[in-house]
Amino acid sequence: MRRTAPLVVTFVVGVIMVGEYFIPHYRYRMITAELIEWGLVLAAAAFVLGLINLVQVNLPKVIRREQDWAYKLVMLIALVCTITAGALGGKDRLGDGQIYKWIFDFLFTPLNATMFSLLAFYIASAAFRAFRARNVDAALLLGAAVVVMIARVPIGESIPVIGDYLPKIMNWIMDVPNIAARRAIFIGAALGAVATGLRVILGIERSHLGSDG
Amino acid sequence: MTTLLIHLWVSLAVAAPPTGLTVEPPPHNGGLNLDLSWELPEDDGGAVSGYAVLRATDEAGPYVLVADALPAGTHTFRDKVTTDPRVDPLLDTYWYRIVSLELGAAPFVPADPDTPDPEAHASWMLSSFAATAPVVGQPRAVWINTRLGWLHLMALIGVVGGLMLYYARRAQQGEEIFIRRIPGIDAIEEGIGRATEMGRPVLYVPGIDELQDIQTIASMLILGQVSETVAEYQADLIVSCCIPIVREVADEVVKAGFYQAGHPDAYNPADVRFISSEQFAFTAGTNGIIHREKPATNLYLGRFFAESLILAETGFVNRSIQIAGTAEATQLPFFVAACDYTLIGEELFAVSAYLSRDPRLVSSLKASDFIKIYVVVCLLLGTLLNTLGYTYLVQLFTLGEGG
Amino acid sequence: MTLFEVLERFQTMDRRWVFLGMAISIVAPMLFPFNLGFKVDERVQSLYDTIETLPPGSTVLVSADFDPASLPELEPFFRANLEHLFRRDLKVVVLSLWESAPPVVKPLLRRVAERHDKAYGTDYVFLGFKTGKELAIKGIGENIFKTFPEDIEGTKITSLPIMQGFKQAKDFPLLVSVSAGFPGTKEYVLQIQGQYDLTMISACTAVSAPDYIPFYKAGQLRGLSGGMPGSAQYEKLVFPDGPLPGERLLATQAVNVLNLGHLYIIGLIILGNVAWLLTRPRAAAGGSA
Repeated sequence: MRRTAPLVVTFVVGVIMVGEYFIPHYRYRMITAELIEWGLVLAAAAFVLGLINLVQVNLPKVIRREQDWAYKLVMLIALVCTITAGALGGKDRLGDGQIYKWIFDFLFTPLNATMFSLLAFYIASAAFRAFRARNVDAALLLGAAVVVMIARVPIGESIPVIGDYLPKIMNWIMDVPNIAARRAIFIGAALGAVATGLRVILGIERSHLGSDG
Repeated sequence: MTTLLIHLWVSLAVAAPPTGLTVEPPPHNGGLNLDLSWELPEDDGGAVSGYAVLRATDEAGPYVLVADALPAGTHTFRDKVTTDPRVDPLLDTYWYRIVSLELGAAPFVPADPDTPDPEAHASWMLSSFAATAPVVGQPRAVWINTRLGWLHLMALIGVVGGLMLYYARRAQQGEEIFIRRIPGIDAIEEGIGRATEMGRPVLYVPGIDELQDIQTIASMLILGQVSETVAEYQADLIVSCCIPIVREVADEVVKAGFYQAGHPDAYNPADVRFISSEQFAFTAGTNGIIHREKPATNLYLGRFFAESLILAETGFVNRSIQIAGTAEATQLPFFVAACDYTLIGEELFAVSAYLSRDPRLVSSLKASDFIKIYVVVCLLLGTLLNTLGYTYLVQLFTLGEGG
Repeated sequence: MTLFEVLERFQTMDRRWVFLGMAISIVAPMLFPFNLGFKVDERVQSLYDTIETLPPGSTVLVSADFDPASLPELEPFFRANLEHLFRRDLKVVVLSLWESAPPVVKPLLRRVAERHDKAYGTDYVFLGFKTGKELAIKGIGENIFKTFPEDIEGTKITSLPIMQGFKQAKDFPLLVSVSAGFPGTKEYVLQIQGQYDLTMISACTAVSAPDYIPFYKAGQLRGLSGGMPGSAQYEKLVFPDGPLPGERLLATQAVNVLNLGHLYIIGLIILGNVAWLLTRPRAAAGGSA
């Protein structure tokens, strides 16, 4: 029963939701709309569970003064402050002079931008390390990468003689070999996705329930 | 005489209404829409600055305004007669009138500016401007979208499902199925073994997408296999989640995996962690786990975005064995550059079947291979036929509106 | 130290040196600006032309799906786009699927709308943020009134004049997706663009642009602006006479940072390869000895 019930629910809901693509009748769509709403409610309710998990994982470590407890304390304080500021601010929390807006503008925004901008540095170090012309394939990849990178930025257009051709070569690389490879990956992945979906819906795949053992 | 002149002036000033209004249900439609079309009056774009659409449930009214200020030149409109049939039930007939709005006419002033009144607005329009005679429309719902593209898609899904069940049955009867070696997947088990030897945990990141994304679902299936292997090796597993509901499911999956491996006591719910639903807060938190808990093996399997390289570079600095898998083409180069193994696109969807070594699952991969051959043949044939000017195959793959 | 040793060390140098070089190439053009000029790509031109062909008075749906992290790439586009739409007398319905977008979108929208004397609720509206990602996108395709019952101010959207007659995505003659990732352009295309045959344009981050080019090639996107260069090109089209008084063309200025950053990475890759090629024979010989 423990394994049968999830399989039956998965099959029924999966078939109904796939049917949505082929059955436009509004009565059918009323059923799928209801199911989508249930999904949204479940996902939203899980946020509460997520919050509980955060506290469950981090609070005991702070209390027991385990290794790196100070980081977890900072996280918990930030959590409490943000929730309080949001709750106190209510609907106007994004108005000028609100604490929540202040947290957003002067803590969240710069922290978020900092994490994202790390990419520039990591791309430099990863590219430096990984891009080596070890064989013909790698050399071709390297050549294409350099051409695209130069042509992508305006400075490429100002290079004498080849400047005019660079964007054309780049567009060719991006539009022909690049798109061909991406479409191949995309089509393969889409078929894999359909197969995975069907495996789960049809109950052939049960890895998530624990194998048969 | 004066009265007659004034009357004449007024009737001349009123812009002509549109003509030939028709109201038809769209084909292949769910029954909630009606397509209106009309012929433009001569002074369209001149004295007529635009059109408004009025709807009633009875020919005599009352009419309500459903679309205001459609720009001049507009001669079609699709009306959704009810937004939610559960609240506002669908009726058999609806009546429509189209109003020609005049250039420079004074706007409608509602009695209470804060509560728009579409009924009063419509009645004001009917008394101020010229309108077509009422025309009736009957919504019509169809059960099956019979457009060629949709039928073809339905048939394809049916064929894949059928083939899967067929091959699963043959596998159950003992037929051997060949599957090529995928080094990236073999490395997962080696990575778990390495973590066991080093006495350090395995980190599993199921991407940052919602549970309903197929890559996250595939990742949960893989997690089932991974957690079982980790439990068998008696190693530690940390799962870092960005979406709360994914954590809940991951928790159940890991629990089931440890249970199946015969080590339910080794399962620790605190190791399946929700970090943050904010992309970069999650990235910072997971980086913290990599730096502090020093996992020997990092598995990034699922749907990733800009955080892919930040995670993988941090793992590289930590000297972890890293195996990534995603169908997100934009992130593949980053994973290829920074990880030891990368599973590309469909390989991600084959992992759980490959790891399970369950013949029924492995055989199901064969079904998608058949469809792949079909797609390749259609691509080649379609390119040839389209070049020669025949578009049959293109039509077969054109979905059009789903209704 | 011999040249061989220097080259070997260069290949295995601490990555913090790489970071330092990157920092210099980003900061230098900010301190000492220079301008090289650039051309407008066909995809950005097509995006601009799609908006130009809309009759005045049409209502455009804009999905602003970005966050503070992607502001440098997408804010210049969003700003120029609002300017473009309002200047052409188009009505604008903005919504977002990213929870961190409203604090960024709301003030920007208000500022540009005020510059054009546009009235909230009649000429433009901000419906705020909706959770649910792909499910929310499906909701926008099916029924906006249900997906966003209230605007960001808490007003019922059924009572807003601008929303009359616009119940679902296909009622809008144009959908603009300003997309920093997931959920964004790709999900709109997969979930509702094809199903409802929507006219759609997109501005995305540079990293996503190659992913969306196939959609443009297939006609599913009528225009595409990728990353900061795309935003700069769009700024060039919308503000041909330079920035408005008191404003700056942020992407146009930032293009110089891109210039030097790219050159730095290209230089690193080339130098790395040269060092590797020069040291390889001896290293191989050493290895086999």
